[in-house]
Amino acid sequence: MVLDELFQRRLVVLSGKGGVGKSVVGAALALAARARGKRILFIEVDAALPAGRYLGAGAVGGREKEVRPGLSMANLVPAQVMDEYVRETVRVDLLARRILDSPIYRRFFAAAPGLPELMVLGKIMVLEEERVGWPRRPRYDLIVVDAPATGHGLAFLRVPLVASNAVPVGPVGSNARRILAMLRDPARTALVVVAVPEEMAVVEALEFHRLARDELAIDTRAFVLNGCHERRFTGAQEAEILRRVSSDEDGRLAPGVTLQAALAAARRHIRRRRLTQFYRKRLEQAVDAPVIALPQLFTDRLDETALEVLAGRLEAA
Amino acid sequence: MSASARHALSRALDDKRVLVVCGSGGVGKTTTAAALGVQAARRGRRTLVCTIDPSRRLATSLGLDRLPDRPRRLDLDRVAPDRDARGALWAMTLDTKRTFDALVTKYAATEAARRRILDNRFYKQVSSALAGSHEYMAMEKLLELVADERFELVILDTPPTRHALDFLEAPERLMGFLDTGILRWFLKPYFVAGRLTLKVATRTGALALKLADSVLGLQFLQDLSEFFLAFEGMYAGFKERAGRVRALLQSSDSGFVLVASPAPLTLDEALYFHERLDQGGMPFVAFLVNRVHPDPGHGFPATRAAADVDDDLAEALVEVFQDQRRLARSDRLSVERLEGRTGEAALLVPEFDADVHDLRELKEVGDVIVGSAEEGRRGRARPRPSRRLAAGGRRR
Repeated sequence: MVLDELFQRRLVVLSGKGGVGKSVVGAALALAARARGKRILFIEVDAALPAGRYLGAGAVGGREKEVRPGLSMANLVPAQVMDEYVRETVRVDLLARRILDSPIYRRFFAAAPGLPELMVLGKIMVLEEERVGWPRRPRYDLIVVDAPATGHGLAFLRVPLVASNAVPVGPVGSNARRILAMLRDPARTALVVVAVPEEMAVVEALEFHRLARDELAIDTRAFVLNGCHERRFTGAQEAEILRRVSSDEDGRLAPGVTLQAALAAARRHIRRRRLTQFYRKRLEQAVDAPVIALPQLFTDRLDETALEVLAGRLEAA
Repeated sequence: MSASARHALSRALDDKRVLVVCGSGGVGKTTTAAALGVQAARRGRRTLVCTIDPSRRLATSLGLDRLPDRPRRLDLDRVAPDRDARGALWAMTLDTKRTFDALVTKYAATEAARRRILDNRFYKQVSSALAGSHEYMAMEKLLELVADERFELVILDTPPTRHALDFLEAPERLMGFLDTGILRWFLKPYFVAGRLTLKVATRTGALALKLADSVLGLQFLQDLSEFFLAFEGMYAGFKERAGRVRALLQSSDSGFVLVASPAPLTLDEALYFHERLDQGGMPFVAFLVNRVHPDPGHGFPATRAAADVDDDLAEALVEVFQDQRRLARSDRLSVERLEGRTGEAALLVPEFDADVHDLRELKEVGDVIVGSAEEGRRGRARPRPSRRLAAGGRRR
């Protein structure tokens, strides 16, 4: 079981290009972990529409919010994380406010390269290391992070390495190295790359996998292929569809559905299914890690029921 | 209606000097930019497509393994033999670091100043690896490319920023960062004096410095201040260039094509971007929505006779049909919302059954986007992908 393996770590980082449904996969993974009785935190970074909406969770902000028993969510906004950090470091409220209000601080933070990413990763590390109660136990059994798909897929994860090279000495460098060590430690972190069965998404997933390994020394533990078109017809039926489509015969199958329209739709489905199969195979042949296929959903609305379907598939993988 | 958007885009391909293709990640921006480039070249324009995307996406679409970092002319004879003979197509990818280096070289007052920057550890990391510099350097490169007499039209594929808007704001943010303000406020008095004191002009400045010291560390501050000091004297040049880019993007020579998919998130981005273009006085050309699921019933005449299909197959067929119809409906609602909110028609591009691998397929995608004159007149009729594109499956 792929999840058994993945959930041995406390941190799962999801990566992949924009538009592949990372946040949906993340939410489904969170539900799957919750079903196993884990205390889980799902972290998004500056999400315009946080995934909490799928669960009717209302607004999810930078603070962890328990949206279901055992399932917490947070949407980390880099500027807020930084502000919080300043407040914790300065301690004196009035002074902290003066710094936070100063235009220099704002401008510096807005443009200081990599600082936002570094702050967010730092916060994730703090959460991962957090212990509560007696005996001390981890606050969360599992933290799933939906890494932002900024520019280069790798940009986010590369920041600690860049920072530790740029600033080898001092607190920035040492924190960056600690973060990097966490991300590299296969016992603590699992990197999961999400893709869809399309040329560019798969090419990028493979590129990401290679760069993460070669440049950052982080191995990808699993791939999730989202939006897969699964077989809906038997082989004989498919052959019949392809034979009968665009023929002269027609007729009514159901209200508003004619045979030729349905056959054309079926042919479109068959092409998509074959593409899915092709890209799945291509991914599987190129990597050692397991590839989990999640089905394309045909619902109007992505809600908890739909997510549970995906969670079930993850569990079964 | 879709026809008006198609018309606007078609005119832009004929008239504009700069087309900026924007949108959130994963909506097919790069393919769109390349497909538009092929179309412009067919219409007789000498066109360059420039991508900032450091992954190999445009290269893949253009059938190249890697895109060079300077314009490379592509052979269109095979895919568009019928084209206007003056037309030509170049493609390139932006090398952020080299562009940044060139900029430094251009504006550094002395050779020593130039070396000081290029050798700065902080600069070395910052110039290529980090957010913001891609966008800024794209803007910078744009000025150079527009001035290049080889090209009549430059199509700029923007980086897949999380928020499409980052692209417009990046130059100002980076300028803000490089600006002397920060330096003067708390770094310069500290390091220029070369003393490890916290004597700074203002109390907040002192506090900020103390914080910076404990949070960031001395070495970092030292590198950083060296970096800022080295840049001093170059700001005027930078600012002037940034001002020129802005003026170019606001002129009627430029146009923005906003690309989205039917996913609400990407449409919201397009909406927001549209608003910002309006506020910034930048010319909007068209909304282009990729991957729209076609209504499976569209174009099929109704019939009364019962179909002759066995029950199992009939059931499965109806199910697949209804699934596709549900997706089509949900896409249509999303697009209608965009059109309703902006009063602008969106150009709908159907989801293809196959991926784009080469120039020929890129040309076909462009045919669907821009359409023939006749398709334009037929109004909202959805252009169908050609047989080749619809063929599906693997073809390489």
